Amino acid sequence: MSSEKASVREAVVESVKGIKNGPLPLRAYMEVCAKCGTCASVCPVYYGSQEKYLNPAERSDLIRRIYKSHNTLSGRLVQRLLGGEDGFKEGDIDKWIKEFYECTGCRRCATYCPFGIDNSVITRKGRAIIDSLGMTPDTMKKVVQVSLETGNTDGASPAAFHSAIDFLMEEMKDEHGIDINIPVDMEGAEYFYVPPSGDVLVNPEATTGVAKVFHVLGLGDKWTMSSKCFDGANYGLFTGNDGDMKADNKLYIDEAKRLGIKVMFMGECGHAYRIMKMMMEKTGWWGELPFEVVNCMEFTADHIKKGSFEFDKSKNPMPVTYHDPCNFGRSCGITEEPRVILQASCQDFREMYPNRGENWCCGGGGGLSAMDSILDFRMNISGKKKMEQIRETGAKYVAAACSNCKRQLMQLMEYHEEDIAVGGVHDMLSRSIMIEGKAAEREDLTG
Amino acid sequence: MNILIGAVLPLITLVVFVGGMIYRIYVWNSLPSPKMTLFPAPKSGRERFVEVMKETFFFKSLFKGDKTLWALGWVFHVMLALIFIGHFRVFSAIPDNILAWMGLTPDNIDTLSLVTGGGAGVIILACLIAILVRRLEVQRVREISTSGDYFALILLIAIILTGDAMRFISHFDLKDTHEYFYGLVTFSSVNLPDNGWFITHYLLGQLLLIYIPFSKILHFGGIFFTEALVHKH
Repeated sequence: MSSEKASVREAVVESVKGIKNGPLPLRAYMEVCAKCGTCASVCPVYYGSQEKYLNPAERSDLIRRIYKSHNTLSGRLVQRLLGGEDGFKEGDIDKWIKEFYECTGCRRCATYCPFGIDNSVITRKGRAIIDSLGMTPDTMKKVVQVSLETGNTDGASPAAFHSAIDFLMEEMKDEHGIDINIPVDMEGAEYFYVPPSGDVLVNPEATTGVAKVFHVLGLGDKWTMSSKCFDGANYGLFTGNDGDMKADNKLYIDEAKRLGIKVMFMGECGHAYRIMKMMMEKTGWWGELPFEVVNCMEFTADHIKKGSFEFDKSKNPMPVTYHDPCNFGRSCGITEEPRVILQASCQDFREMYPNRGENWCCGGGGGLSAMDSILDFRMNISGKKKMEQIRETGAKYVAAACSNCKRQLMQLMEYHEEDIAVGGVHDMLSRSIMIEGKAAEREDLTG
Repeated sequence: MNILIGAVLPLITLVVFVGGMIYRIYVWNSLPSPKMTLFPAPKSGRERFVEVMKETFFFKSLFKGDKTLWALGWVFHVMLALIFIGHFRVFSAIPDNILAWMGLTPDNIDTLSLVTGGGAGVIILACLIAILVRRLEVQRVREISTSGDYFALILLIAIILTGDAMRFISHFDLKDTHEYFYGLVTFSSVNLPDNGWFITHYLLGQLLLIYIPFSKILHFGGIFFTEALVHKH
């Protein structure tokens, strides 16, 4: 065995042995799994293909096996009696890289496991070990690098951002005949809108929707975006690298402080909101902050309930359904707000089943939707259940409050030749909200 | 030989089981826990306590996830609880005295024992066999099963079989165990009952207790940590 391979083995085994020092859930998951098979019966990946290596308990066993043979009495005993290796063979790291990037981190397993074992935590540990060896898949590595360098996962410059925003303002002028502003880099603003970059560069109707909300509420000059920090996406979550995740987040905290804002106004991105709210704010990464974290859908839904807006639902006549992004639904409890918005903006909103916290993953979670190297896997296996669910609703537009979900869903529709449009939640609002008596006049009615 | 099986081994079992449990729970309690809420989540400490109790007594998440497994697993655990409570009668005459004081005749007590104890002993055996068959037959369970999983089931089945045999085949008299355990706790004698089924049952039971702190059966302790975590807001 070459010394390079020996050191990979060493690093892996040391890291796994170290799980005995916590955190608590990770250690408990090593010891408490009863191999009952419930996780497999609720996993979208296993649903797509019932193969042993796609069984969540088996994937977790990649790590668990090593932990047991080093850290538990029965494991060490079995090792001594039956011999064999401790579960990590030469060449296994390639297996790890493939398989830990086949879990979408959706946490359905955790929801139904009788012990609440969260395999996404084990997956993330596997990815963290892979990352520490410098072996994270190239696509993911690049996204993290680009994001840390430029402040957004597309590597777009502030100039590119400005022209995208200018374009959106022109669009809104065409739609409504009046100026609807998207402030940029405005210090002293109250709300700092942080969308996923996709909602500026690829599916911008979510951003125009937000702009219109602020406009109608008379807050057109109370919000701002940042030409440097316009992408809440944070791939340090997906690569398992806490250092990268916090560094990426810090860029935004610093920008928020610089602008002097009061509300970190997160856009339609599940993992961005989850990191900002459930991790950064709730566990206090940066101590006391002069602003609070709010999600745009909460804000808008609240105002809809207060009757602040009027809608022309006839602008959205097609049947619309909502896909709960795993991070919003299961991990943040944001389920009613998008529905309030869609029900107000659309003529024919219908649920898929199951929904809310029990909804199925789109198949592109955990950063997988950025990896085109596993397109076939995502289209045929991890996204299979989602496709079935959507078809069953008869919807012609599926709203998903997440750029990664949207990418996965759009690819699914194209791959499976389905004539179903994919977009965000505020997109629907953007099309039907009434400003000065009428809704948007749109020429291009595709998607 | 009597001393070895009747006094030394039980002492070892007691120490390993109690010590093992305390150690495991102490270690788990000392490790940091991050926030990992799963929604919908309880909003107050009281609500959270209720949720964890629902999981403990009704296996709520499992019911939503896999109803067949829930049926087998839940009935198994309810029977186990009955048998556990019933075993207090094995160690001392006090439980029976209390029942008599409450108004039950010896015949009443025998019937109660037959129905809840004997009945549980039969139903739990059926559950265990069904669970074992499930593990062998259902692909997604079979493919992730290890020797430890089968060992636990076979050990449990052997314990139940010998226990049932004590009741239905050899008509074991609890006076014998009352005498034995009394002698043990007063350090006055070691009168191990001279019954093959009993001795086997006793040995296997102790093997189980020794095994518990080091195995997945510990889930009954672990869930207070893992389930509680995902329900914490």
